[in-house]
Amino acid sequence: MKVSLKWLNEYVDVPQDVKAFCDRLDLTGTGVEGAESRGATFEHIVCGQIVSKEPHPDSDHMWVTMVDVGDMHVGDDGKPEPLQIVCGAQNFEAGDHIVVALAGAELPGGITIKKSKLRGVVSNGMNCSERELGLGDDHAGIMILPEDAPVGVPFAEYAGLTDTVLDLEITPNRPDCLSIAGMAREVGAMYATEVRDPLPEMAAKLDECFGGDVPVEDEVRITIEDSVRCPRYTARVIHGVKIGPSPAWMVERLAAIGQRSINNIVDVTNYILYLFGQPLHSFDLNKLKGADGKAHIVVRAALEGERLQTLDGEDRDLIPDMTVISTPEHGAVALAGVMGGMESEVTEETTDILLEAATFEPGRTSRTSRNLGLISESSLRYERGVDDNDIDIRSAAAAALMVEVAGGTVSRAATNDAGIVDVWERKSAPKALTFRIPRFNDMMGALVDDDFIIDRLTRLGCEVRATDDPDELAVSAPTFRPDLEREIDLYEEVLRLWGMDRIVSTLPGSRERKGSRTPEQTVVSTINAVMRASGLNETMTYSFSDPRDLALMRMDAEGLGEPVELINPLNAEQSLMRQTIIVNLLRSVAYNLSRGVKNVQLYEIGTVFSTGEGRKRPKERKKLAGVLAGAMHEAGWNAPEQPFDFFDGKGVLESLARELSLPKVRFKALSAEEAPHLQPGRAAEMLAGGADIGWVGEVHPLALAAFDVHVPVVAFELDVAALVKMTQPSRPYVDVSAYPSVDVDVAFVVDEGVTHEKLVQCMTSAGGKLLEGIRLFDVYRDEKRLGANKKSMAYALTYRANDRTLTSAEVEHAYGRMVQKVCGATGAVVRS
Amino acid sequence: MAIADELELVRAQALADIAAAKSSEELDKVRVAVIGKSGALTKYLRSMGEVPKEERAQVGRAVNEARAVVEEALAARKETISQDELAAAIDAAAVDITLPGRAQQIGSRHLVSRITDEISEVFLGLGYNVVEGPEVETDYYNFTALNAPADHPSRSMADTFYVVDRSGEKSAVKGESDVLLRTQTSGVQVHTMEDQELPIYIIAPGKVYRRDVADPSHLPQFHQIEGLAIDKGITFGDLKGTLEFFCRQVFGQDRKTRFRAHYFPFTEPSAEVDVSCGICHGEGCRFCKHTGWLEILGCGMVDPNVLEMSGIDSEVYSGFAFGVGVERVACLKYNVPDLRMLLEGDMRFLRQF
Repeated sequence: MKVSLKWLNEYVDVPQDVKAFCDRLDLTGTGVEGAESRGATFEHIVCGQIVSKEPHPDSDHMWVTMVDVGDMHVGDDGKPEPLQIVCGAQNFEAGDHIVVALAGAELPGGITIKKSKLRGVVSNGMNCSERELGLGDDHAGIMILPEDAPVGVPFAEYAGLTDTVLDLEITPNRPDCLSIAGMAREVGAMYATEVRDPLPEMAAKLDECFGGDVPVEDEVRITIEDSVRCPRYTARVIHGVKIGPSPAWMVERLAAIGQRSINNIVDVTNYILYLFGQPLHSFDLNKLKGADGKAHIVVRAALEGERLQTLDGEDRDLIPDMTVISTPEHGAVALAGVMGGMESEVTEETTDILLEAATFEPGRTSRTSRNLGLISESSLRYERGVDDNDIDIRSAAAAALMVEVAGGTVSRAATNDAGIVDVWERKSAPKALTFRIPRFNDMMGALVDDDFIIDRLTRLGCEVRATDDPDELAVSAPTFRPDLEREIDLYEEVLRLWGMDRIVSTLPGSRERKGSRTPEQTVVSTINAVMRASGLNETMTYSFSDPRDLALMRMDAEGLGEPVELINPLNAEQSLMRQTIIVNLLRSVAYNLSRGVKNVQLYEIGTVFSTGEGRKRPKERKKLAGVLAGAMHEAGWNAPEQPFDFFDGKGVLESLARELSLPKVRFKALSAEEAPHLQPGRAAEMLAGGADIGWVGEVHPLALAAFDVHVPVVAFELDVAALVKMTQPSRPYVDVSAYPSVDVDVAFVVDEGVTHEKLVQCMTSAGGKLLEGIRLFDVYRDEKRLGANKKSMAYALTYRANDRTLTSAEVEHAYGRMVQKVCGATGAVVRS
Repeated sequence: MAIADELELVRAQALADIAAAKSSEELDKVRVAVIGKSGALTKYLRSMGEVPKEERAQVGRAVNEARAVVEEALAARKETISQDELAAAIDAAAVDITLPGRAQQIGSRHLVSRITDEISEVFLGLGYNVVEGPEVETDYYNFTALNAPADHPSRSMADTFYVVDRSGEKSAVKGESDVLLRTQTSGVQVHTMEDQELPIYIIAPGKVYRRDVADPSHLPQFHQIEGLAIDKGITFGDLKGTLEFFCRQVFGQDRKTRFRAHYFPFTEPSAEVDVSCGICHGEGCRFCKHTGWLEILGCGMVDPNVLEMSGIDSEVYSGFAFGVGVERVACLKYNVPDLRMLLEGDMRFLRQF
């Protein structure tokens, strides 16, 4: 909300030091988002006088004027010299006092004035209209100042426009601060200084404005169909107004806070809105009247299918959640609390006004605003809460001001002295609260004395009384502070005004605190460490996915559950929650490749989502996914570049299995049917203790192509919960033998179909307890020497006993038996 | 020639050969030639039988003497040669130690995780547990239980992502559902208050979602760390002390903090916390928009309504809560120009951290 300090200063003494004032506002809860010096926008704009006016030689409507701007322009001799300015306006004569924008001036609309030529004639500035200065709508001609206006004086200084306008962030709990008078009260409480409330004096002027013979009840009737939607609705009638421009002082005040002047009646409604936070609406009374000559206002729910053209010219489709002001004859004439209707608008021909001052339900106003995408100064205030008390007084101030600026008389009422039709079915009352002073101080860790508490709460509008208990105050919270509902709300008021900076910093004193991570967090932390030790870089990708992702990835949707759909996605490509992380990692691979980064090693630990019929909240699972493309590094002087293959991915998982002490880890080949997204023959399932942990493999070339990746990618995706479940706290200790080992090498020639795993199983089971270690050190293929479809698998075997030095006879015996069994079980032949 | 003379000659020749030997191999050849099985000196011992009886003792002594001298010379020479050889071998093995080492690539931690870790460590040290919660929440845990008004604009479809509810329940607001992507990690607070014994000291880091189109300063998904302390006698001073400690740990010991009164539905009193600008040290510069302060978190005393909704007696217990944006801290610490870089997986970006 914009606040003119000049205007605010009318009601409370604003500190001279604007910077310190802004800091204090910031600290007490009113955020200052900007401070603009308004005089500054009128730099190089001065008061001048037309010296002469000649027709432009090349134009039938422009004039060449010589304008006296005093010292603001001097000739070569250092003496004031009139400026030549070309002007297109018609409403002036030589001798008129005007406003001149000199070269270098920046007009509110953003136009910068430069010396230029207009149809060949030099123009050294611009003679300004009200609109060009942002002071009003009048652009029929240039602004003519009174004859006593001084020449050569900055216009801002002459017009008293030097002002600072603050842009304040009013938090949603403070509707009372959405007005100048409300801010004055706040500043009064901030500085414990006197506040001058303008309302009583303004409202009292109404007494002099009454006139006419027809009581207001004869012209206006009000029906509220639902008092929840509209707790109070009041109307006044003003006859005989003359629509015209507003007086300069009002134009200036409104302009200062960014409100353009429209006409005197509308300006008054805006003026009262900004001054007191009371939204008002002025109808053309005659456009509301029915055949009986009476305006029958009905506040009701909009009808299904009802339409209304609002003041901004838009046709609005209404729904029953919205509230309208209507008459039986004209239907909806205004959208309650949000915007008036075009049909009943005040125009230049209007002479009789129906002035609405009411209050509407906050929640519905907010929804209506959101549903229509229509936020107005009224809706902004109604959705936060407008006090139903004193509406009649604020309306009286408005009516009196209308008469002051537009003439006419306010109708008297037959049923009251106030000249008002007032339907008030749902009244709000001040809330009675208790303030326990010791509890406040205990909770804040402060020592604030009673006098401060009583004084500040009183300045905020509360009534504060002592009670029998010296530790307790009885506080009555005003109705314009709907946020003061509970004792704690009062604590906040006192604390912020006393100063959060004055609270002594402490730490909680609990003896029962103990900081720890969950077992899952500990495992995840180990996973992160292993991934990084394996050379993988952590990344994060979107949790969203494209509905086509799984198909493009060739991934089997079975087992992944049903996708979670967003109701309001940002775009179709992000309309589901992801079921796998791999797809987004492949996109990151493509991103890197397209930028010339060819070695990519990425991993992510993140959530995947699935749902199913009958589920409210989806199932969330944490996954670990990784991709390897290119190589770990480019060729170095002492290290060749080794392109990634299946075994790099598997190696990462083997390291992980070791660090997490996973039991009985196995890799089982996955067929094309089981894992269509992986390249058959280079795909495996990881198992630990018989449980499925995840998969690793080279991504299928067709899946890669679908994501614009044209290099091989090794990938894996594991289930974190499965890893956590299978993680063993530690491996059992095994004695280190004090006796020497006997090392023997053996090479088995086997069919291609015999796996390493099979051979190791045979060797282990046949090897006896003396066979301590088996290490594959060579795989060799040679059709001529070994035969077709054969391979030689060479193992280094370690034999050792824990209690003695083995004899060669013992080793030979164990070795011979093992070889015999392996050959028998696998058809292997020992290569000599 | 007398044997003694012959021996003298052999000895002299041997000593000369030893001195001339340049390598272990040459020296060994000399050793074999003189005192080997059929060496020049050995030969005399072998042919002792041919020496007249009366000379045997003398010759034997002379041979042994000569042998001892030769062996001593051999040993001395061997020592010298092996020292030389070692020195030569070491010389030959010298490398250009400025050549790159044989390093294993170590992967990098994502910036957001790095900062989350850093903050978590601070609070673990203060005795807080680290807890996590679901990313898809019900409207109740994300808004209602946190005292957010029913018509609060943040609940709107324009700000919050809603997902299809498959339970068959209908939402109160047309077109929406009661299931949403959490917009704050505060929901974890509510779960914790419902499930855990008092006192509670937790932080809850995690991913949150808001319906903002990704641009340099906005992401539809980002990270928050929520903190909650509920105990008997927790004061606003405790909140201040805790967060001041946190700011100094994360941003540096010389940084100041200030608390500005603010409004949040789930805390009362509420505050926003600023840390003094690290670039201008509070003088005001472009980075801090000339205020000298950088906003880093929101906090406050837990609203009694929130405590009561979770079944905690607000007359007995009090608490504070705070929420930090991890990306915000990342930007303040590293001046990241475009938040989208955090989600692109660009190796050149990731490898910097």
